Parts: sequence; C-alpha cells; structure tokens
Amino acid sequence: MKKRKEQKELSTVMTRRMLMLGAGQGVLGALLVGRLYQLQIAQSEGYRRLSDNNQFDRRLVQAPRGRILDRKGRLLAGNSEVFELRMLPSRISNHQAWLKRVSRLITLKPEDIEAILEKITEQPKFLEVTVKSNLTQRELSRLAVLSPVLEGASFQKSYKRIYPQGWMTAHVTGYVSPVNKRDIDGEPDLPYLPETRIGRTGIEHNMEPDLRGLFGFERVEVNARGKPVRVLRDQQANPGADAYLSLDVEAQSFATERLRRGRWQAVPVQMPEVQEALLENEELRAHVSMGDDLVLKDEKGRLVPPESGAVVVMDIYTGELKVMVSTPSFDPNLFSNRLSVRDWQRMNEHPRTPLLNRAISGLYPPGSTFKMVVLAAALEAGVITQKTRINCVGAFEFGDRNFHCWFERGHGLVDAEQSLERSCDIYYYQIALKTGINRIHDMARRLGLGDVSTLGLISEKEGIIPNRDWKLEKRGVVWTPGETVVAGIGQGFVLTTPLQLALMTARIANGRSAITPTLTTPQMTEASPSFPPLDVSPDIIRFLHKSMRKVMAGGLGTARKHDINQGMAGKTGTVQVKRITKEQREKGIIDNIDRPWKERDHALFVAFAPYKNPRYAISVIVEHGGSGSSAAAPIARDIMDFMLKSDGVSA
Amino acid sequence: MILGILQLLYRLPWLLLVSAAALVLIGTLALYSASEGAWSPWAERQMVRAAIGAMLLVVVAMMPTPWLHRLSYWGLAIAILVLVALPFIGTGTGATRWIELGLFNFQPSEPAKLAVIIALARYLSGQTPEQVQSLVSYLPVILMLGIPFGLVLIQPDLGTSFMLLMGGLAVVFAAGVPRRFLVTGVLAAAASAPILWSQLYSYQKARIMTFLNPEADVLGAGYQITQSKIALGSGGLFGKGFLQGSQSQLNYLPEKQTDFVFTMIGEEFGFVGNLVVLLIYFAILVSVALTGLRCQHRFGRLLCMGISFMLFLYIFVNVGMVTGLLPVVGAPLPLISYGGTAMLTVFLALGVVVNIALHTKLQDSDFY
Repeated sequence: MKKRKEQKELSTVMTRRMLMLGAGQGVLGALLVGRLYQLQIAQSEGYRRLSDNNQFDRRLVQAPRGRILDRKGRLLAGNSEVFELRMLPSRISNHQAWLKRVSRLITLKPEDIEAILEKITEQPKFLEVTVKSNLTQRELSRLAVLSPVLEGASFQKSYKRIYPQGWMTAHVTGYVSPVNKRDIDGEPDLPYLPETRIGRTGIEHNMEPDLRGLFGFERVEVNARGKPVRVLRDQQANPGADAYLSLDVEAQSFATERLRRGRWQAVPVQMPEVQEALLENEELRAHVSMGDDLVLKDEKGRLVPPESGAVVVMDIYTGELKVMVSTPSFDPNLFSNRLSVRDWQRMNEHPRTPLLNRAISGLYPPGSTFKMVVLAAALEAGVITQKTRINCVGAFEFGDRNFHCWFERGHGLVDAEQSLERSCDIYYYQIALKTGINRIHDMARRLGLGDVSTLGLISEKEGIIPNRDWKLEKRGVVWTPGETVVAGIGQGFVLTTPLQLALMTARIANGRSAITPTLTTPQMTEASPSFPPLDVSPDIIRFLHKSMRKVMAGGLGTARKHDINQGMAGKTGTVQVKRITKEQREKGIIDNIDRPWKERDHALFVAFAPYKNPRYAISVIVEHGGSGSSAAAPIARDIMDFMLKSDGVSA
Repeated sequence: MILGILQLLYRLPWLLLVSAAALVLIGTLALYSASEGAWSPWAERQMVRAAIGAMLLVVVAMMPTPWLHRLSYWGLAIAILVLVALPFIGTGTGATRWIELGLFNFQPSEPAKLAVIIALARYLSGQTPEQVQSLVSYLPVILMLGIPFGLVLIQPDLGTSFMLLMGGLAVVFAAGVPRRFLVTGVLAAAASAPILWSQLYSYQKARIMTFLNPEADVLGAGYQITQSKIALGSGGLFGKGFLQGSQSQLNYLPEKQTDFVFTMIGEEFGFVGNLVVLLIYFAILVSVALTGLRCQHRFGRLLCMGISFMLFLYIFVNVGMVTGLLPVVGAPLPLISYGGTAMLTVFLALGVVVNIALHTKLQDSDFY
C-alpha cells in the first residue's frame, strides 16, 4: 500500500519535472524567436547594407587620360597599357614563400616585399594586393608560363602615362604623378586610387579637368573568395579629351638641339678625356647622370655641358607658340609612376635646375632688348624725335655716378635709328631720363612685359616692370632718377621672361593688335579680331621695324653677321649679372669666357621675320652665354631659318 | 487484420510523422539552393539518406517495446566500445570524430547520445522509490553518463559532449532525482569549470572567446558568426527569395549546407521562413512530449522526455549558434542539415517515440 503510494508520488514528480523541462524549452524557444525578430526585423536594415557591401565591390573604372598632341597630331603625351601582378592573400598559405618564388621571376626589392607583406596584414585577406605594376614584356611572359601553378596570382590591365618626346617637350607637357592625400583633401570627389594621376605642371596641370575625363563606377559582384561573378556598370568611364597644342615638335626639336649646342663643338661622351673630366667636373657629372650624352668643348678647349637657356617662337598674328624650349630639361616619364628618390635628388641637386621652365619662369633682365620699349616711349612722349642726335663719349655722368656705354671708346654722334642699330647705351640713359620711368613702364606693359600671360601655366612669373609706385610699395623708398638711367638699358629692377620678350617682339612686329600667347587652341584666322588694339602709333612701329632691321642689315648693326635670306629684324642684348667695379674697369674688364660660368653675361636676342611680311617672333636666351650678338643671335637665325623653310615646304 | 491496421494507423503520431516529412522536404530544398540550384552534391544524397532513415524508423517503431528495453544496455556498451576504438579507426581534421564508411562519414558520438538516453531511461525506470532517494543508486548513472561524455570530450568535441551530457541529465532530472543531489551536482560542475577550461584546446577557447566578442575577429573565428548574422538580418521579413541569398550563393556563408543551413533558409525566406521551421520543430516536440505524457510506463515516459530534450538541444544549440547567442560548437539542425549520422540518429529517436506511441498501454511490469 505504502509502496503504491510512493510509486504514485514518484509518478507525480516525474510529470511535474517533465512539465518543468517543457516550460524551460518553451522559454528558450521564445528566446530564439525573439533573437530572430531582433536580427531579421528590428536590425534588418543594417544587415542588408552589410550584405550589399559583401556582395558588391564598388570600384572606380579608370578613364584613359586625354592625349596631348602637337599641331600636326604628333604624340607628346599618351597612355600605354601596362600589366600589373596582383595576389589574393586568402588563396596563398605562405605569403613570404610565394613572394620569394615570384621574385625569382620579376625584380622585387626586399623593401618592396616588406611593403607588400605589411599591406597584406593591413587589409582583409580576400582583397587583392598589387605585387608589381608596370611589368615588362619579359616579366609578363615569365609569369605567364608559371601562372597555372602560381596559386592566387592575377593580372590586371592599367594605363601608364608616357611621353614619347621625353625631356624635349617636358616643360610644355609637364608631368603627372600619383594622387596623394593632399589632393584628396582639396578635391574630395577625386578617386583615391593607386592608378589615379594628377597633372602637376605644364599642360598636364593646366588642362587637368579636360584631360582627366570621367571615372566610371561599377559594382562587381564578388564571392567570398574575392572572385568577380558579375559586373554592373553604374556609370561608363569617359576618356579624357585630347589636347591639341600649337607646338610644332619638329621645330621644337631643332630649336632644342640648336640651343643646347650653342657655339661649341660636340664631343663623344665615350672619349677618355670626357671620362676624365667627369671625375672632377661636378656640373658635367650632374648633367651626364640625367641620361644626356651631349658634351661640348668650348673655345678654350674646356669640356662643358650643353647651354642652358630658353627659346620661344610665336606666331605674330595668332599668338600661337610653335616652340617653347627650356634647357636643361628632365624626363617626365620618371614621374608617371612613383618617382624614385634617386631620380628626384638628381633633378633637385642638378646645379642648372632642370625642373625650372625658363621660358615662363626664368627671370632675366632684358638688357638691350628693352631698348625698343624705351625708344618707343620716348618717341611717344615727344621728348625726342626720330632725328634727335646724342653724342656718346663712352660714359655718362649723372649724379655722382658714371654710367658707361658697352662701347668704351664711345659711339660719337648717334641718331635714334643708329642708337638701336649699334645699341648705344648713352643714348638710352639720356632718353630714359627725359621720358621718365612711368612712361617707360606704360609702354612696356602695352608691349606685354611685366605680367603673366594668358597661357595659364602654373609657375609662370610676371617679372618686374618698375615704376614709381612699385618702388614705393615694394621697397618703401622713392624712385631715384639714377634708377631710370639703368632701366633705360633694361637692367636694374627690370626683369622679364623669355616668353614676355617673344611677346614684346611679336606685338612690335604685328603693330596693330595686342596679341596674347597661346599653347593650346590653334587660332586659325590671321589677325584674329578678338585681340584688342595695340595702341602704339604706326609711325613709331614703322620706325622700330626699320631700326631693328638695321641691327641685322646695317653696316654697324650688332647682329649684322646673322641675317637670313628673307630678312630679319632683331635686337641683341647682353646682360651683366655682376656689377663691374671701378677697379675692375681700370684694370681692364676680364674677358667673359675667362670668368666663372655663373658670372658670365647672359646672351639675349629677339627678332621677327620675314622683315617685309612678318610671321614669327623669336626670343633666345643663353644663360651666361656671353654676348647677345655672338651667342644668342646665331641660334635665333638658324631657328628662324628653319621655321620659314619648313613653312615654305608645307606651303 | 484490417481492423488491426486501422487501429495502428489511428494510433500513429501523425503530427510527428508529417512534421518530420516536412522538415526533410525543407532540408532537401535548402540543400538544392546551397549548391546554387543543383541536386548534386547534397540534395540527392540527403534524399537517399532520408529514405534509409525512414526505413530505420519503421523498423524501430515496429519492434516490441520490451526488445528496446532489453537491447538498451547493449546499445550503450557498443556505443562506448566504438568511441574507445575511434582514435584507432577514425579520421577527422584536428579531432578524430568520424569513421569513413564509404557511403557517409559515421560520427559515433551522435547515436551515442541516443544510446545514453535509452540506457538511462531503462536504468532509472527500474528504480524503486527508495533507490530514487539513495545516492548510491546513482553511481551507475554517473558511469553511464560520464564515460561517453568523457570519450566524446577528448576527441575533442566540446559541443557534442555537452549535448550528450545535457540530454542524459534531462532524463535523470525527469526521473525524479532528489533536489539535494541536483544542487550538489550543479555546485560540483561549477567548481570544476576552471579545471575544464584549462584543459580546453586553444581553438575551443578561441571559439568561446569569439562567441563572447565576435566583432573582434571578423576574419577569423568570428567570421562565420558575423556573416551568419548578416545573412539572417539581410533576409528581413520575407527573405531574398529561393536561390537569391547573396550571402549563401556567393559563399560568404560558411558551412551553409550543414551547421548554417538555418541561416540560409533565413536569408532566402526571411523571418517567416525561419518561424515556419521553428513551428514544425515545436510540433514535433509537442508530439513527443504528449506521447510521453500519455505513456503509462516510466521507461517510455523517460525515453520521450530524453528524446524530446535531445531534439530540443539540437535545435536550440544550432539556432542559438547561427544567431550568435551561443558559441560555434558544430551542431546540426535535425533532419535539415546535410549529414548522415545526425539524420539517422534523429530517425532512430523518432522511431523509438513512434514505438512508444503505439504501445502506450504497456505497464512497467511488462518489461520484467
């Protein structure tokens, strides 16, 4: 009986416990449902986004950058397809061993491998890492043979900016370099991709918005191993627009070589004496290490690098620049991918600053090429007439200073035309004084000096054309008449760029319109009506033409040996870079060629041609090249001859 | 004869059988989707296994219940023997868990769970009320439970061993073990936890740590859980549609055919789809529990209790794992996940339940 009761009790306990366990299950089951509700209903939105992120790899499609072409469609900057090797870390068990294996096929420096390994640890394993971009044909074929057994390797096509003309047009095209953090800060929409390139200088910088094109967007559906499954194009990539330049590569090439050679003789770089000179001559070494093998021998038998300087040739009706040379130059291809430290140092430590575009950023006193400005200003002001004569005795005393003429014995009695022909300094000291600096300033500005041009190139300098206000504002002291005297021969405060001197010459040659230079858009119509009038009297223009012609054709013209068949009108300029002291003058001035290079005079020459029917204006500057007539004028003559001859061929 | 068959049909737990069939169907469709819309490699093999499982169910259901009672200790003995032999004949990556049988990889720890429950049910159902109150009479229980638990734990398979332990303890609990023993047992377990922790393999510790903070290790052990939550959550209310689950179809979801199949169903059919699956499981559990409550012999009642708890544990651990409530321990979803042993074990267990449902009128005395 008792046993039965106990049995019954036990049964009740069991039932109770079964119900308890059931209830426990119910509670836990409800917990699961609650959790599902939380994930699938309450937080669904957020998880959906995460799922989309998984599913789609949003990426930008590189748009090929617009090409840069010369006036005849010859390539100055283009894109070459390059292949890069990428690795998928999640597919590779031992990254170090993998990279080691690959480094037997392609060049990989230890620091590259280290950087890659670091990158692998930084990002999710299913994202690809670039191992090497810009694979050579040989590397590509080596890798291709092994790719079936090279687990986790893939090849990607991309574009590399190339400059087939290399350093010859480097200052015009400029260069591009990879996008950096600062670019993104300034332009948040810019895609921050390893293949994004930004134009830094020259046309590449100036026309960046047109050249860059529009990046495309696509969503690549990727699986968990990072393998693309499907591509959705949200926005087609739009290639950048091509830029047609007014430049003529043939003329540019001729002008470059002509300027570089100067008056000297080329010497083969392999010659033992060159090799010897390289050991001791640092400047020569810096030059040759840039990959240039032109070495010259000057009149004293010394081995020297090519001349540095600038040449600008401008169409006097359209303002188109057909030649814009600055030497020494650099290879813009070096910047397209990450510039190596060594290359950067070579360019930066080069004593002749190859990165400086002398044509627009090089500032030089115009010297005697400024005399047209002073003469025109004086004639316009009426302080002289075309007949006014001044007696040159080799020096001009003003205040307590003696101002010397370059021709120490003195020119004797010269009129206005002869003053330009023979470049008499005394004449200009005196008429400058009479005209006053403000009127000279005014004429200089009208002829295109002292301001940045319409080219819009970065780093273009405006130069200095002083007047009274400028002095007071910049220096805080009043203008003194002595300063007008030196300004009269284009020295003192006056600073111009080779581009400005070409523009000045072009405006004088044109005579009617205040043309402006252009590099990019060829302006097809002559005497384009869009230019404002020059506002210099035709009489004065005619007189300047005649006088400049005398420089070339007159019996005593400073450039009389350097005329061309079609006839050229020009002006020499020789610019002192170091003041000649009284003692030096008494001891006798040391010959230019015997001074250290840095202390030699700059040689300048401006001209237009043909004289009867002007077409081109040119400015040449040879840094520390000696006198304008001996160093710069022959270069200008040859280039102008080339220009006119090739026009004749094409006509 | 006809009457007998009709009686048999009437007594069959239809809710249980229909629910099980529904789960097999859902599982097959899920596996079809898991292989990106293909019958091979999983869906077709799953169907073959389900057919074999159904035959096992019929065989077990039709055998006289006393046979079950008599075979129970033998079953446990064989299970223990196989577990002991496993290190010498088994395979597995990192842990020795399977025996390759050609048709499928046999995982002895799965049927061991059932064997423990049957053996415990037999032993505890035979206890007199005095024995229930006596500590000594629980020594065999500790051996029956402790030996297989220990053997599975050292494979090592933390998840399965704990599920085995919990299933057995549920039977002990249901059998009416005095409260004082329960409290002592819980305290002893709590005291031994640190020792157990120090014995864990590093990957096991990592999994537990990952469970505690999955976002800390998104690409390692936490990857599975994170991706599973993304898949479930992005499914929303109605899901992305059959074969449209981007997480599953693009292989972000690991083990989608086995342990994470519930996630895949959730991604493609949403909250509603998951709820339907859980409701079907609920129906099965209710059916098993009702069978147990209707049963008049303690052996059957304890069996139903143990089996219902075992099934519940499968479901709870699996769903808890894929929703990030529990650590990743590797528990299949009964009748849906791809995996032969677990499916056959569940069919065997359901066969036992059907057997009991057909013989509810038996008394305890009928077994001796």
